[in-house]
Amino acid sequence: MTLSPTLRGWLLALPPLLFLGLLLALPLGRTLAEGGVNLGIWRDPYFLGRLGWTLGQASGTALLALAVGGPLAYLLSRYDVPGKRALLRVLLLPFVTPTLVAVLGITALLGPRGWLSGPLGLDLEGTPALLIFGNLFFNLPVMVRLAHGGFSRVPPALIGAARTLGASGLRAALSVALPLALPGLMAGFILVFLYSALSFGLPLALGGERYATLEVEIYTLTAYQLRLSEASALIAGQLLLTLAATWAYVRLLRGGTGVPANNLPPARGAAALLLWSLVALVLLICFGPLVAVVVRGLLGSGGPTLGYWRGVLTDPDTPLLLGNTVRFGLLALAGAALLGTLHALGAWLARSRTLDLLSLLPLMVSPVSLAVGYLLAYPALSATLPMLIAAYTLLGFPLVTRSVLPALRALPPRTLEAARTLGATALAAHRTVTLPLTLPALRGGAALALATVLGEFGATLVLTRPEWATLSVGLYERLGRPGERNLGEACALATVLLLLAGLSFTLLDGGEGEVT
Amino acid sequence: MFKQVMFKKALLLGLLLAGAAHAQPAPTTLTVITHDSFDVDKKLVAQFEQANHARVRFVKGGDAGELLNRLILTRRAPLADVVYGLDNTLLPRARAAGILEAYKSPNLARVPAADRLDDAGLLNTVDRGLVALNYDRAAWAKTGLPLPKSLDDLKKPQYARLTVVPSPATSSPGLAFLLATVNHYGEAGAWAWWREARANGLKVTRGWSDAYEKDFSKNGGRSPIVLSYASSPAAEVFYADGYDPRKLPAQSPTANLFLPGSTFRQLEGVGVLRGAKQPELARKFVDFMLSAPVQADIPTRMWVYPAVSGVPLDPVFRFAGQPEVPAVKPEVLANPQRLVDAWVNNVLRAR
Repeated sequence: MTLSPTLRGWLLALPPLLFLGLLLALPLGRTLAEGGVNLGIWRDPYFLGRLGWTLGQASGTALLALAVGGPLAYLLSRYDVPGKRALLRVLLLPFVTPTLVAVLGITALLGPRGWLSGPLGLDLEGTPALLIFGNLFFNLPVMVRLAHGGFSRVPPALIGAARTLGASGLRAALSVALPLALPGLMAGFILVFLYSALSFGLPLALGGERYATLEVEIYTLTAYQLRLSEASALIAGQLLLTLAATWAYVRLLRGGTGVPANNLPPARGAAALLLWSLVALVLLICFGPLVAVVVRGLLGSGGPTLGYWRGVLTDPDTPLLLGNTVRFGLLALAGAALLGTLHALGAWLARSRTLDLLSLLPLMVSPVSLAVGYLLAYPALSATLPMLIAAYTLLGFPLVTRSVLPALRALPPRTLEAARTLGATALAAHRTVTLPLTLPALRGGAALALATVLGEFGATLVLTRPEWATLSVGLYERLGRPGERNLGEACALATVLLLLAGLSFTLLDGGEGEVT
Repeated sequence: MFKQVMFKKALLLGLLLAGAAHAQPAPTTLTVITHDSFDVDKKLVAQFEQANHARVRFVKGGDAGELLNRLILTRRAPLADVVYGLDNTLLPRARAAGILEAYKSPNLARVPAADRLDDAGLLNTVDRGLVALNYDRAAWAKTGLPLPKSLDDLKKPQYARLTVVPSPATSSPGLAFLLATVNHYGEAGAWAWWREARANGLKVTRGWSDAYEKDFSKNGGRSPIVLSYASSPAAEVFYADGYDPRKLPAQSPTANLFLPGSTFRQLEGVGVLRGAKQPELARKFVDFMLSAPVQADIPTRMWVYPAVSGVPLDPVFRFAGQPEVPAVKPEVLANPQRLVDAWVNNVLRAR
């Protein structure tokens, strides 16, 4: 029984491909078929303007993230920085933060009466600055982690050699490390671009309707105006664009080489100064809003209070919220880890760019149009638990694939061959060589997938039921009622969510995980 | 072999039938789809389940506008038996789409005639929400300005950038406010008001939560005036840190601002969906929503007024005013979606 690696790869990828077909292609096709596609909307200057703004803000965010995250990731990979693992791990927290919570935190810091904008005399209202800040809050961590993954594969000996031959530190970074780390950097850039281009809660909450993205327009046309043919044209256009971007990226991508280095020197002088300034900047952007939310959960109008926490802890529904969050998170995590690993193994064995690209599809498709597709394609399943878990799995599994695939590609082929030469069976070789070397990546990907699922507001993809309420649902319900206590308890619940996420990352991820 | 299988099957069937004869029939499941804000005492639902030997499965279908669209999209394979949460602004589209089956609850007799949603009984009024502007007392005092007296005042430079409203295109109180302005000014006049108010810094957010929890000065935003509900000041007292029903404060930190032409009476209803699998039970649920215990439970749970007259209100409701809401002209309610589209074109996208 000797199948070619290509065939074996495609066979392994069959379950995830089937899953993608049922949970993604079919419902999306159903949405597009329901109303037809009215391409005339693309002649409307208003929507062309939206397209321009969507691409502009996404590229701007990705460039800013690269400018801040790239150098920081390089310095982190070159020097022994105390607390590095912890930093990389907690950088996942913004990822789990529900959009409205992030918005509340950002407003508390930089809004019209913000704790930072007040003393600084900043008035950012009516400018896109808050939106870009919000985009960075969510995406800078992705950039830092991916770029760190890229740079930490560059053998320090190469950089050392360049330095010995007279290159300055900057020159060595630019001419040696940068080209070698390019896949990681590009991956970060493209992911940040995709996430920013397709984000929708953030632009409307922080930018007002003036800075609405295409995704916001798709949402409004679909969910409120039921103008499906126009929404479909926008969906199709958006999909083409993101596909083009990802195709370019998959073609650019090559496997990384080398293994992360140990015994790094501590940073000194200018490098240390730059390093710690960048760390401070990233901490401010990524944790300032979270700290603000935690503080709001402890601060009433009459001063510090534990009342909101008491309210949350004594609410008879809280155990349900917590239990559901953990239960759904674990179920979706299991699905995402299984499908994501199979997909990565398939793409690696088959050396298929198409498979590689397909795993990115869930990140490219408008969730609103998917939600409509589920209703149309599976009306009987639309309020069932398997559907909810499947939808969560769909959101999480690309992150596992993106994490495991580069680790597989970076496997030193000779080690596997050596194991085989020394008499190990194929299975044993994989168990003793492949598994230990890819496990950190799997754990990192799993942490990211779990983060996505934990922060997901249930109602976006599938119809929910009150008994399935999760922490984020409980939080949104409170934010849907007036009154100080509701806001305070929402912030306390957000803190619980962050603690839970922090705990699960510590268990899952050593902080070294990466995604490309 | 074949015989043996047959025998086993017969035996199994016999056992099943015998079991069924002894056991109670399994409870029927009634599916109720609601908007996301729906909340009713679980004990009352359990009583309904017991009385009707049924199990009620609630499904949340999004904001009221999303809910309607989901029902329209799935009308060939209905998602539920009963819907709660469609209101008078959405009824015209629900009627046109033919998603509802007429049933007039006998309990409707206790709902004042002016609050009944339609004569056919497609929707039975459960509650009244009074959409209204509110202001933050403390933040307003700091501006040193007199309170505005009319919507036109909001266009004046001294009231610039003080008001936030959720968008009529994506929020149900926003839509209600839009209809109030069209009712007040007429269509052309309303577009002019909106354009000028927006030029004067009237902020439009996506949904109610963005407006109230982020932009309203009470919660750390800029705007001391927010579009919400007449009941919001009562909710502010009820949800204050350290609320004690025996010691109500002298006043709420927020208050109503009933400017003429800014208030709207939202009538939310319950109705049977066409194609319901359990039409009989669905009708009973309609009656249940209009029954006295549910009506009394509604105000401090969903912060709207019960539809049935004579239901006592929690004392905290003394902080909420009840404005005289002018009757809405039939042409305004005939096709609200057309007005939203017109608002998007004439106001939102007009630069």
